[in-house]
Amino acid sequence: MYQEELLENETIEKTLSPHPLSFMGLQSLCIFLIVWGVLIGWFANFSEWKDVWFGNYVSIIFAWSIVLLIVGVIASLLTIRWRIFFLYLGVVAGGIGLIFWQNWQDGSGIVIPYYTTLVSIIGFLIVELYRRSHRYIISNQRIIFRGGVLTKQERTLRYDKVSDINSKQGILGQIFGFGTIIPISQSGFGLGSDSSFAAGGVQVGEKKAKFMGIFGGGKEVQTPRARSYYELHGVHPYKDVKKIVERLVQGSVIVPYQQEQVTFQKEQVDIQKQMRDLLKKQTKSDDGETSKE
Amino acid sequence: MAGSPIDIIIFAPLAPLFGVILFWFIQLLFIESQKYLLSKIRPKHEPLCRFTNFLGILFQTICHALGYTVTKSGISSFYISINYGKVAPKKEKKGIFEWLSNGFLFIGPFFIPASLLLICLYFLMSSGFDASIPGTVIGIEYTFAGQMITFGTNLYTFSEGFFGFLSNIDLLHPAHFGFVLLLIFIGMGIRPSHIGEKKREKVDMLYDLKNIKDNILHKPLYLIILFLMAYVLFYISLLLQQGWYVALFSILGWLSIIAIVSMVITHMILFLIRTTDEIPGYWKFIPYIVIIVSYVVMRLVFFFFPADFTNSTSLLAMILSTLLSVILLLKYKTNKFKTKTPMKSLRKRKIEDETDVPRRIIRE
Repeated sequence: MYQEELLENETIEKTLSPHPLSFMGLQSLCIFLIVWGVLIGWFANFSEWKDVWFGNYVSIIFAWSIVLLIVGVIASLLTIRWRIFFLYLGVVAGGIGLIFWQNWQDGSGIVIPYYTTLVSIIGFLIVELYRRSHRYIISNQRIIFRGGVLTKQERTLRYDKVSDINSKQGILGQIFGFGTIIPISQSGFGLGSDSSFAAGGVQVGEKKAKFMGIFGGGKEVQTPRARSYYELHGVHPYKDVKKIVERLVQGSVIVPYQQEQVTFQKEQVDIQKQMRDLLKKQTKSDDGETSKE
Repeated sequence: MAGSPIDIIIFAPLAPLFGVILFWFIQLLFIESQKYLLSKIRPKHEPLCRFTNFLGILFQTICHALGYTVTKSGISSFYISINYGKVAPKKEKKGIFEWLSNGFLFIGPFFIPASLLLICLYFLMSSGFDASIPGTVIGIEYTFAGQMITFGTNLYTFSEGFFGFLSNIDLLHPAHFGFVLLLIFIGMGIRPSHIGEKKREKVDMLYDLKNIKDNILHKPLYLIILFLMAYVLFYISLLLQQGWYVALFSILGWLSIIAIVSMVITHMILFLIRTTDEIPGYWKFIPYIVIIVSYVVMRLVFFFFPADFTNSTSLLAMILSTLLSVILLLKYKTNKFKTKTPMKSLRKRKIEDETDVPRRIIRE
């Protein structure tokens, strides 16, 4: 952060970026690609089933793509992010397209593992680029969240606007000492919602009369959630950072004693104002009397 | 049936029991040694130690939960972190159920993780495992010596198959590679300790043994019942001329062997980590690269020039080249072997230098 970007009396406490393993959710998608690529290569070239189940290129491509798509659907359902499915769909489409474009059908048992590994390496690089694009600056007055690979985004949060701090640490975070801290602003920035929906259908009548009904119900739960650019995502050392943020937030919050003092001072000011008004009135009346005399 | 009635009725059932206890003690010793090694590398490898701690706690917590499930106590809360785990039952059951669930907690971590490996072995070992099914040993004698011999034979047959499998393991086979990873992970996590309300920083072998002893002495009647059940099983096996009794304890012996082997492999890894820590800079990564490169190169050589014993030769070459690389690095990058400057002379010189200065000053 440049010196000219700092406010008056502002000093930087810590400049942070996410831990290399903090995007394990995205990295695990790439790890799966590598593992499945290696497995399909082994099945097609070295296993005892290579001639039985993987004798021709259709079965190799079919097995490879169907597993990728099924895993994509499962991962998308679990994380409620359909982009995982479309990502895997893109990988499958790219692989099939490459094989048919270059007429590599006979060598699909070799092309597919290499292609999958290459795609996952590219995936790892993209995730790493994305991780490195994050920058969190904790100053004595505010937290600045910066990020974006192509489009640059920035969020500034003053400590007096922080109403709540949510922090979480997964098992990997506990092992490597990183975690995520979400400062929730008074406007509710930093809050997301989990919604679930259940529906059921009924069909009555087999031949002539048919009745179709759908019954559903939804539920929404608010939960602390923000994009990695707007939270202190996977920061290391987690405990120290948490302590600093809590100390700074606490420092900008008026404690009950201070609140009492402010009220007392306000009362004092009011009394002084009243006294001043009374004095003014009195001096005016004194002036009137002297002028009459 | 040879042997005196006293031997058959009283002493014979104790033979496999003693065998299992012996193996279990060996396992405990390995656990202690592993803890010592981990404590030595802790300052430089905190995450690794946290990871092993998490694995240990995970197994303990699962065993504890399993204990509550078996005793139908139910589970109301399940908490696990890298340094603490807790399972709370829905219904607080007393008596034998409490004793059983505590038994699962204290003794489960010794055997339950190893049983996972045994299941994997069943699917992976194509030879050796079938032949060693307990009870198939012909001519079981129901005496102390006979039972001990049968128990030992069962363990020997299993060990022969297991070590044969390990020495021929194909690390380029996904299932075999997965098994090795599981063996290492489980080896790092096999260690029992009490999961109570209070956190304990140091949990050693004596503490574990004390817990087990307390659990036994807390309700000695249950222990007597367990012994009686064991004796009844032995008498049934004797009457039906079946090897069920020795089979049960043989399986526990197998589990101990698997656990010990997994800990030996973990020891080798921990020892490698500890040794490479002494090598400065990026040179410390060379042995780890050598592990992979040497194995792959050997397999490639055998792929193009087929020969017998390719898997075991590759494994041996991998171990030897890693060992050689570590020794060479220690020799040329550190003064571990004291070949650069003998430590004694260095110390002497230092002392002389220190003592010389004041003397000179005094003389002057």
